[in-house]
Amino acid sequence: MAKPELRLDEMTREEALQYLNETMKPEEGVIPAYILTDPTIYKLEHEKIFMKTWVLLGHESEIPNKNDYMLRDLAGYSVIISRGQDEEIRAFYNMCTHRGMKLCRADHGNKANFTCPYHGFNFKNTGELIGVPLQNDIYGGKLDTSSMGLNKVTIGTYRGLIFGTWNDNPQPLDDFLSDFKWYLDIGLGRTEMEVVGPPQKFIVHSNWKIGSDNFVSDSYHTMVTHGSIAQLGMVPSATYSKKGYQVHTDNGHGCLIGMPNPDFPFPEELKDEFKSHLTTEQFDLISNMKNLIGTLFPNLSILVSHTKVKGQLISNTTMRLWKPIGPDKMEVMTWFLVEKNASEDWKYRSRESYILTFSPSGIFEQDDTEVFTDITAAASGVMPFAKKLTYNYTMGMHREPVTDFPGPGVAYGDKFSEANSRNYYRYWLNLMNS
Amino acid sequence: MSMEMMLATYEFSQWLYREAKLLDDIDFDGWFALMHPDIMYSMPVRVNKEGIERPDYATDMFAFHDDHHLLSLRVERLKTDYAWAEIPPSRTRRSVNNVRVEEYVPNERAVVKSYLLLYRSRSTDIHHDLVSGERTDEFLYVDGEWKLSKRFFVIDQTTINTRNLAIFV
Repeated sequence: MAKPELRLDEMTREEALQYLNETMKPEEGVIPAYILTDPTIYKLEHEKIFMKTWVLLGHESEIPNKNDYMLRDLAGYSVIISRGQDEEIRAFYNMCTHRGMKLCRADHGNKANFTCPYHGFNFKNTGELIGVPLQNDIYGGKLDTSSMGLNKVTIGTYRGLIFGTWNDNPQPLDDFLSDFKWYLDIGLGRTEMEVVGPPQKFIVHSNWKIGSDNFVSDSYHTMVTHGSIAQLGMVPSATYSKKGYQVHTDNGHGCLIGMPNPDFPFPEELKDEFKSHLTTEQFDLISNMKNLIGTLFPNLSILVSHTKVKGQLISNTTMRLWKPIGPDKMEVMTWFLVEKNASEDWKYRSRESYILTFSPSGIFEQDDTEVFTDITAAASGVMPFAKKLTYNYTMGMHREPVTDFPGPGVAYGDKFSEANSRNYYRYWLNLMNS
Repeated sequence: MSMEMMLATYEFSQWLYREAKLLDDIDFDGWFALMHPDIMYSMPVRVNKEGIERPDYATDMFAFHDDHHLLSLRVERLKTDYAWAEIPPSRTRRSVNNVRVEEYVPNERAVVKSYLLLYRSRSTDIHHDLVSGERTDEFLYVDGEWKLSKRFFVIDQTTINTRNLAIFV
């Protein structure tokens, strides 16, 4: 039994985990406040979750041409993702194997080779070390360049999404995504999708899990947090977000599907392309879908939003990463995606609605980050731990899953529930114990 | 510099100071009245590029990309009871400087560049946000007044150190 009067940072790792297991009860809807901001939890999370699982790096459409590259980070470590001359996408740790300098410092570009700014070691975008200045003279021709290639990062792709992991022996990406693929298909793979422009990045003094949690199950907040949208006439009513389904799958993933929708919220001319990418069940669902909001564990959220802008209904698709940069700080990275074969007019209007609603200036986004910041401040420090403050996640526990939902996973016939959060935190706790 | 350009520089400096004051005083209607119906209010995403490759901002993605209607929507939103991002309103302090008149046709049109340093404080939060960048503004002369018809704000950070842009730049 861990001594509860100790602070977590005074406990051994085993005691801290034991305390976590005693105080966090996802099945009962009890989540302690300290897990949002405690530095010990944050360190364990980094090791046991972000260093082990699959994390999104970006989208294939961001590097469409041979020798295109982009810089991203994986669990806080800079990674170069490059499309080689052979079209293959590879990822490397952005560190020269000679003395460790960052090889690349631009966000994005086109280059077949990367030259280290420190001593000029030159690496091909396949990772191979191909040039060492004055090599024969200073190393006597004995430097084993073949063992000095860039450190490769394990990546996997699905529907254009590029995931990476530091785990040498990861669960196959396919298994990790598992049943959630059905929903990713609808959200990001219903047709050929492309990322437009660079991702937007901004800093929120919030724990990253609040973002994931908000998107995995919380439609309930939209009535109040986003009340302004109803007042502006962009959605029909304050309770518009209640109707539909809440669904979760293994591995903590989950989403919310707003239904029904009398309008087809996507470009009409792409219906055939949609049908060729989706099953009949998926197409039927998307044809009647208002919006889709979800989180792929641990920190990728996806959103297909549908609102009225300038008197016209228009959908926009975005994905976002809640990247931890401290227990109480995250970098939010948001991408806008659009149907590649849509008309220019559709693309323009969809981007316009994204910027208005879910970019850093977005009138949905800005009220969320205000809430995330204050929740984090309230959970910080020793008091919430000492007083054993907890959150209530019991919403919808009286409900039974529906049996007639066409998609995989556990589905509930009402979006207002916390079942997905319980599932998310259950998996989070599993990994913390791994 | 000609006397005409000196006077124009003074005139637009005063215009921009007055605009800053209206925003800092949370007089959004007063501010919006300065906009020309053709306003295009843009803030591209800043990016890190190789070497001195330019432009070093995105041409296809923006933090703001608003016409008159969308900008009015933001102003209207701030008046609802649910604009939490600005309840209570941020305390902002806009310093506008390095004002340079690039093009000037008296009583017709002008292009003016300026630097903006925007300090933002929220509620009891001891952190403050600083947003800095350069504006390129275009003005049209309507009914005896200069109205803003285009703003292009290039921010100095690639990762914006603010929780949101519920404020105007």
